Amino acid sequence: MRHRALVVDDNPNNLMLVKDLLEAADFEVLEAETGTQGLVLARTEKLDILILDVRLPDLRGSEVAKQLRLSKETRDIPIVFVTASVMPEGRDEIKTIANTAFIGKPINTRTFAKEILSFIR
Amino acid sequence: MKARELAVGLRTAKAPGPDGKGPDDKGLDPARSATKSQEYSESIINTIREPLIALDQDLRVVSVSRSFYEVFKAKPEETIGKLIYDLGNKQWDIPRLRELLEKILPQKSTFDDYEVEHDFADIGRRTMLLNARQIQRVLGKERIILLAIEDITARREIEKGLETARKELKQLTNELKHTTRMKSEFLANMSHELRTPLNSINGFSEVLFDETFGPLNEKQKKYVNNVLTSGRHLLLLINQILDMSKVEAGKMGLALSVVSITGLLNEISMLVADLVSKKKLQMVLEIADDLPDIEADELKAREIIYNLLSNAVKFTMEGGTIGLRAKRAGPDILIEVWDNGIGIAPENMDKLFEGFFRVDTPFSRVTEGTGLGLPLSRKLVELHGGKLGVVSGGLNKGTVVSLTLPIVSQMAPK
Repeated sequence: MRHRALVVDDNPNNLMLVKDLLEAADFEVLEAETGTQGLVLARTEKLDILILDVRLPDLRGSEVAKQLRLSKETRDIPIVFVTASVMPEGRDEIKTIANTAFIGKPINTRTFAKEILSFIR
Repeated sequence: MKARELAVGLRTAKAPGPDGKGPDDKGLDPARSATKSQEYSESIINTIREPLIALDQDLRVVSVSRSFYEVFKAKPEETIGKLIYDLGNKQWDIPRLRELLEKILPQKSTFDDYEVEHDFADIGRRTMLLNARQIQRVLGKERIILLAIEDITARREIEKGLETARKELKQLTNELKHTTRMKSEFLANMSHELRTPLNSINGFSEVLFDETFGPLNEKQKKYVNNVLTSGRHLLLLINQILDMSKVEAGKMGLALSVVSITGLLNEISMLVADLVSKKKLQMVLEIADDLPDIEADELKAREIIYNLLSNAVKFTMEGGTIGLRAKRAGPDILIEVWDNGIGIAPENMDKLFEGFFRVDTPFSRVTEGTGLGLPLSRKLVELHGGKLGVVSGGLNKGTVVSLTLPIVSQMAPK
């Protein structure tokens, strides 16, 4: 069965890159450019994994994740944060949320899909 | 003018002077004795550095020290026998002094460090510390008052200056802390903002180069590889600048573990073996057999050795030789990375650690580098409690970079 991923990133180029890489690895990819859009899609669509940018124009990625952890339907979706931030503060924020992982930007296109796959289950 | 009246009143009630003393003075001539004791007192008064005034009980000046005349620019004829308040054209009519002499002293008989500030016409504004003693003459009822005047104007000014300096220093410290915080925030933001487009540049060119979505012709492949190489170079720069600023801000922590230094040195030398053979260089390894494991941050130790070895490769002409030596030196491991390459001119030695310094030779233009590898490596070595230094015989005489890494880390674990 194909895996379903939701990618939330406000930078259209980065969104396209991640989408293309995942599609090349036979994922089905849904896209969102804001945290709110991402929340709506995560609540209505069945997802195997959520790939979240940390800095979004409306909500922080960590905020989106915290909200999803509150409801039964969405609390088990694995979340991978992709961020260009290098400050430890950002990572501490993420560490406190269950079932999450972290990939730094720039991503390694050769290993990205494999890394994502390893976070499912 | 209540005080004046008081002084005058006292005068009328005054007992006869020293000359009027009774005949029971052991047959000594009372006048001579008095003169002697006065000389004696005056010689004491005159040896004192601070201005000293002796007053009779009517507050008239009996005697003053030499320094009094000097400090207050007064003349003896304008001083002796005068009421203290009348001195120097009534300049001494100071309310605080009146308070001391008329209210406090009659009750306490001594007074220490009574601070008086006054604007004198001749010598300007002065801050003085007054010390007073009321002395009962042994036999007579008469008292004299000794008034020592310490001019603390200069001291007060210094104290004020110190206080101002202290405040300014505090303000500067706060500003500096603020600036430092702003700088690291700025660098963190800058790094984020630069990484975001770099993610696209490096990511898309990597995908293109890998021909994930279809083949490229030779020229396209070469071009996209150039984009990728430049993008990675830019990323390295951003990372190194950020690391430098972290070290400088004291925010770079070490993740210490037990590291096999022999294993690490061999691995890194294999990592650069490709570059070495591409340039047809010889690499000489002299790693002692008995190197103990060390306590270090493995990633940073690798980064240091890699930086130095890749520098040796970069700055050595084709066909040259580079080398890596390692041995135990007391509590440290001594590591030397050497080459017989372009060397460093003596005048450029100091610039090596400034950052972004690239040896300016026609040869260097074809080398890739950030100019931050060496300064960053030194900072990382120092963070481990070691030292890093560079020696070169001069231009085209090769270079030796020596560093020490402590076997047991002296750094407090984080």
